[in-house]
Amino acid sequence: MAKQKNEKDTESFEYNYKRLQDIVDKLESEVDDASLDKIMEYYQEGLKLINSCRSKLKDAELKIEKINSEFNNSK
Amino acid sequence: MELQIKTSETPITVSELSKRIKSLIEFEFQYILITGEISNCKKHTPSGNFYFVLKDDKSQVSAVMWNSRSVRLAFEPKDGQRVVIKGRLSLYETRGTYQIDVFEMFQAGLGELQMAFEALKQKLFEEGLFDHARKKSLPEFPENVVIITSETGAVIEDFKRIANKRFPSAKITLIPATVQGTTTAKNIIKALKFAQTLEDRIDVICIARGGGSIEDLWGFNDEALARAICDCIIPVVSAIGHEIDFTICDFVSDVRAATPSAAAEIIFPDKNDYLERIKQSEYLIKKIVSGKISNLGEYLDGLKNNYFFNKPIDILNDFKMKLDDREDELKNLTTEKFSAIKNDLNYIEKILFNISPENTLKRGYSLVKKNGKYVSSSDELVLFDRVKIQFKDGENDAEIIS
Repeated sequence: MAKQKNEKDTESFEYNYKRLQDIVDKLESEVDDASLDKIMEYYQEGLKLINSCRSKLKDAELKIEKINSEFNNSK
Repeated sequence: MELQIKTSETPITVSELSKRIKSLIEFEFQYILITGEISNCKKHTPSGNFYFVLKDDKSQVSAVMWNSRSVRLAFEPKDGQRVVIKGRLSLYETRGTYQIDVFEMFQAGLGELQMAFEALKQKLFEEGLFDHARKKSLPEFPENVVIITSETGAVIEDFKRIANKRFPSAKITLIPATVQGTTTAKNIIKALKFAQTLEDRIDVICIARGGGSIEDLWGFNDEALARAICDCIIPVVSAIGHEIDFTICDFVSDVRAATPSAAAEIIFPDKNDYLERIKQSEYLIKKIVSGKISNLGEYLDGLKNNYFFNKPIDILNDFKMKLDDREDELKNLTTEKFSAIKNDLNYIEKILFNISPENTLKRGYSLVKKNGKYVSSSDELVLFDRVKIQFKDGENDAEIIS
């Protein structure tokens, strides 16, 4: 049966992209209050996500799988 | 008898007449839907063009179906067949005949098919299966997409090409299925069921086939197929290849695309949009962080110059200055004191010197000593005492004689 799409699948482009938007929002809202440590934490995670999302889009190759047509033998 | 014509009339030529009839006819009958029976059917070789006569009990019309169009026929036209024809009327001036130029031809039984189509469409509509509200929306990031189509041909190639250009991080699973003929519906239902059992969680299913005639697409009007699409838990995009014709599948699917290529454009977002947004996020992050750092820097500089921050240094400096002052004072006082003492000492020295025996001697006085002791009064002396008299330049012995 189809496995549930793990919303927290940290490999997926969707998760990383959403997390990146999250980080930007957090930085915008917390920049005045947060400590320098926290800001740098966000910064590093943000850059990491940017690289991962970019490479998923630029370097990815379309995967094609063909189901064995023997399954489709009705007449 | 002579032909009498009015001088204002001129006779037209045959060509003119034909031309006028041609424009009249071809304008009026640029599209006709006509039903009748085939007779005098002839297939011309080698061109393959079909020539026949379409008739009913009272009239007849010539017709031709060019080879390019007749290859798409789902049946072999024969004399006696009742057909429905879509076409237009043309006039052939050289022969003075008019003829139906056939675009499409259906066996007349198709009228019944059309009625069944309308009936099914109505039935499913009343059940609410076409309702907009029940249509699922497509996910933003289609990472797993199933396409049900024939395994070769332009459809799958176009679909792959567009997917690769727009969103290459996707995975496409092709489930091959026959997309025409009487087994179409059954095969696609099976493919749909199979897609829902795949291990990867599928984001979108696309049912696609290229353009074709109404007969080619007929399988997509099947009721069981329509219900299978409705029951499908994954969003279904139908791309059954015709811009203007709609099949039942198109009505029940969650999204209808005019062509398989259009389906790919709908399903896959453009990666460049995301790359652009990622670039903006990068710009924002860097801007915010460097802004924060320079703000902190300014704050620190501000603190350094702040009065309160500098107070300890000021206090220290204050003390340093006081120390210097004290030191100076001390120096001054000491020097003064020292001078004063020196003066006093000098004065005392002078006095002492003045009253010293040596100085007295130097002034001409003399000292008298008796038995080593100085005599300061004549009472201390008696007759015949032996004394020493000390002068500035020497000593004399003496005896008291009175």
